Amino acid sequence: MNWKDFRLSFSLLVLCRLLLAVTPYVDSLELDHDHQLSSPTNSYVRLQEGIFLYKHDVDPYSGGAFYHSPLYLSLFTTVLPTSRFLCRLVWTLVDALGAWALVGIWRERQTLESSSRDTLIAAAYLFNPYLFLPNLALSTASFENMLQLLALLFACKGRASPALFFASILLHLSLHSVLLLPPFILLLLSSPHSHLVNPKVFIAYRNPKASLSTALSYIGEFLVYSAIMSLCCTTVAGGWGWVEKTWGVVLTLPDLTPNPGLWWYFFTEMFDHFRPFFLMVFSVHLLMYVAPICLKFQHDPLFASFALLGVLGMFKPYLTLADPGLFLSMYALFPETYPYLYHPLVTTLLHLHAALLLPLFHSLWLDQGTGNANFFYASTLVFGMANGAAMVDAIWAGLRIAVGGRQGEDEGEIAVVQE
Amino acid sequence: MTLALKAIPLPLLLYVLGTVASSTPETFHEELTLRPLRDGKVISRFSFSTLLGGAIPRNPDVLDAGNTPQHYSLFPLGLGQVLREYAATELHLSLNSGKWEYDRWGYPDEQEVGTGAQLWAWIGDGGQATVDERWKGLRNALAGLFCASIGSLDDQRTTSPTLAFAPEGDLPAWPLPHHLRHATLPSENVCTENLTPFLKLLPCKGLSGLASLLNPHRLFDADWHGMSVHVSWRARRGVEVRLAFQAVFDPVRMSTDRKRDWSLQSIFDRTIPKACPIAESSRIAVELPKNEAYAVDPRPTSVQDGVAVYDTSQVNDLDVSLRWPLESVFSYPLDHPAEPLSQVSVQRTLKGTSQSRGQLSVSIANSLPSEIQAIYLETMPWHVQFYLHTLKIVVDGQARDDLLSDIAYTPPEPHGRPALLESVLTLPPNSTTHLDMEVMKSFLRYTEHPPDAQRGWDLPPAVLVNFTPGGRRQRLYTRTLLVDLATPDFSMPYNVIIMSCTLIALTFGMVFNLMTRKFVVVRLKKGEKASKEKAD
Repeated sequence: MNWKDFRLSFSLLVLCRLLLAVTPYVDSLELDHDHQLSSPTNSYVRLQEGIFLYKHDVDPYSGGAFYHSPLYLSLFTTVLPTSRFLCRLVWTLVDALGAWALVGIWRERQTLESSSRDTLIAAAYLFNPYLFLPNLALSTASFENMLQLLALLFACKGRASPALFFASILLHLSLHSVLLLPPFILLLLSSPHSHLVNPKVFIAYRNPKASLSTALSYIGEFLVYSAIMSLCCTTVAGGWGWVEKTWGVVLTLPDLTPNPGLWWYFFTEMFDHFRPFFLMVFSVHLLMYVAPICLKFQHDPLFASFALLGVLGMFKPYLTLADPGLFLSMYALFPETYPYLYHPLVTTLLHLHAALLLPLFHSLWLDQGTGNANFFYASTLVFGMANGAAMVDAIWAGLRIAVGGRQGEDEGEIAVVQE
Repeated sequence: MTLALKAIPLPLLLYVLGTVASSTPETFHEELTLRPLRDGKVISRFSFSTLLGGAIPRNPDVLDAGNTPQHYSLFPLGLGQVLREYAATELHLSLNSGKWEYDRWGYPDEQEVGTGAQLWAWIGDGGQATVDERWKGLRNALAGLFCASIGSLDDQRTTSPTLAFAPEGDLPAWPLPHHLRHATLPSENVCTENLTPFLKLLPCKGLSGLASLLNPHRLFDADWHGMSVHVSWRARRGVEVRLAFQAVFDPVRMSTDRKRDWSLQSIFDRTIPKACPIAESSRIAVELPKNEAYAVDPRPTSVQDGVAVYDTSQVNDLDVSLRWPLESVFSYPLDHPAEPLSQVSVQRTLKGTSQSRGQLSVSIANSLPSEIQAIYLETMPWHVQFYLHTLKIVVDGQARDDLLSDIAYTPPEPHGRPALLESVLTLPPNSTTHLDMEVMKSFLRYTEHPPDAQRGWDLPPAVLVNFTPGGRRQRLYTRTLLVDLATPDFSMPYNVIIMSCTLIALTFGMVFNLMTRKFVVVRLKKGEKASKEKAD
């Protein structure tokens, strides 16, 4: 038996995840109420409530308990099961598909049929605690991550239609995924291969002659798919109320349930007359990262997508652990940058620190009643620092690799600094 | 009625509530009911009703027609102006304090006994101002009239539970329908400042007649006390305003020799000095004890079905007393578990220690040998949100989800309207029905918390409407709940804004540093770290 055979090892990994999912102990943890694993926009309990209301002819979007996309409503009332046990299996399979897509992206980047690293990459996705804990909590963030990876995989393969189709579904599940559209189009025009060592201006490898018109046609296709999806949503929801309650909530933040992100406590403590201004600042601030990252990494759009996912994993309004989890798992795709990471030890320790503090202080504040809100707020700040450090690490390494010369090799002779 | 209204010319259209009061007969009736209870307490209930004969509620279509003078002789002008201004057809306001014990005290004579303030009104649609605008004006006007925080019964508290709060009078058949607005504020307390304006609405004020017994020192010392105002319209009779005050006294607590004997003097610290000359009828009804030796003094005008009635329309310094001459010391009936005085009882609790979620449990006991249909109503502010999919109904250990039907649910909106859950519940005979549901506790902005945030929030009572054998709707109010919501730190909004912004700015700065600045290789000469030479 060849243990290095990817098919065998991958099935083993998925089997372990399935066993973990069906363990009765997991149910007793009551993870689905955990604020770090699922936010109001992707919580399983709220999804169940929405499905219940929908089945009883109450418009779920008329109130404030349901912020999921109508696509979930249509899926869970027709195809997908609502029983808890079957849901666990579906969620695990969603993660398995995500891991398979991540391995696919790796193979596309390296232009390999298979490699010895495949199993490691699959494990980095399937056994990342930031990813499998939200999955066990049945957070629909797992669906978002899977769609994100599938869209990237098809973009790497150069198959525009499926890639744009998945991206348009993702747009309905999570509005902020629209920020990834520019690197995504670049990736469709260019190639997924690593050009970090040799930065150049953007070259549309796939279609060198008509790059602008192709880009525009891709955007048009994306808009058509999104419009069709919106019409589907409107048909399912019986009106346009879903727009305000799915896309609107990530911009106006009506629900201040704690999460590991930076928005909730800021807007809990915000003065009422400044709230609209700061909501605008926080939303626009995210847009500002897109153009510089796409310009700087125009030679490697896959890395640009990766860096932007890092930005989203830090600044999303309704953040869960699954968002930085996707970014951290994607680190596995870029082993060439590892020697150039700026402060990997600091990043690791910060993440370890935050991962211990978050559940502890959350429980002290809300369950034990011995701590107050500042405890959990402080740990979300640490978590924010950890995510920021990971992002700066990645971007530094992605740029530093072009200069060459390893950090340790010429110690004392040269130093690479920024002018 | 619609046709008739359209047919009459415009000047006559102004023939609304009180405009031609001089020609309408106004009558005033007052009544005091005293009911001794088996646990030694005494329920007293004052009812003062003024009828404006032949009057019609104001049609909102003519609200813009301008003001016409109002002349009343008995009808309270302050209330009449409010009703005219906001064209409310029917209105019920109650301000209560304490918890009504249905098991021990039975069904109350005034059924609006929910703790705190409750206001509900049927308002006709039409005219320039919408129903909601007039509802807002109405509650603010009543807040001013009764010196109560009814103005806080805002959109975060307002619902329309039309099943449970059906109109008690008639509604005029105007072309546009009537709408119900209902709101409760369980944390509102009733006190002397509410009683003074209440007394001013009475034709004899508190000077003569039964109202002279309304002594605030004693009323607000009672175990339970509440006042209510009811305005309704009957097609054949006219607009009626009924003011009521209900209190549960404990004569044992007030007596020095631990006896349950009481008199008007001992309960109210007052007697009736003289009759109210305007009252059409005035009487005191005392429910007499059964199967016990008692002495009632003075001699009642008449005794019917165990109720002693005193005609107080011609009276001079009257004091009514009821004594149990054979009883030296009153002992609470502890030995035999008395069967509850109400056939249906409701208990509602909020379980769970977490500040982010909990469980709402309602148990409804039906002690009748027959099945009962009841309407169950929850009007929950958005601070506590239901997970309806977790609702479970259990009777005698068996799941009975079929007992709940006709669920009408309006989901709550954060920072906005409350949830409304109204459904028909079938209560099996001689059993206790348990309803269990998971709830989510909301997180509030720091400006939305009250000054004493750690105290928690009062949640309004649930209402169970069942039909008594006589066919009358009987509303049962559960106790209010106190929910402990998570609080942010109130002292550091600046710190949070500064620290979050610093983190965002630092990350932004680091990323843009990397984006904009060029990488250079600096060659360091051996041993001479200070001198640098550019290589790139």
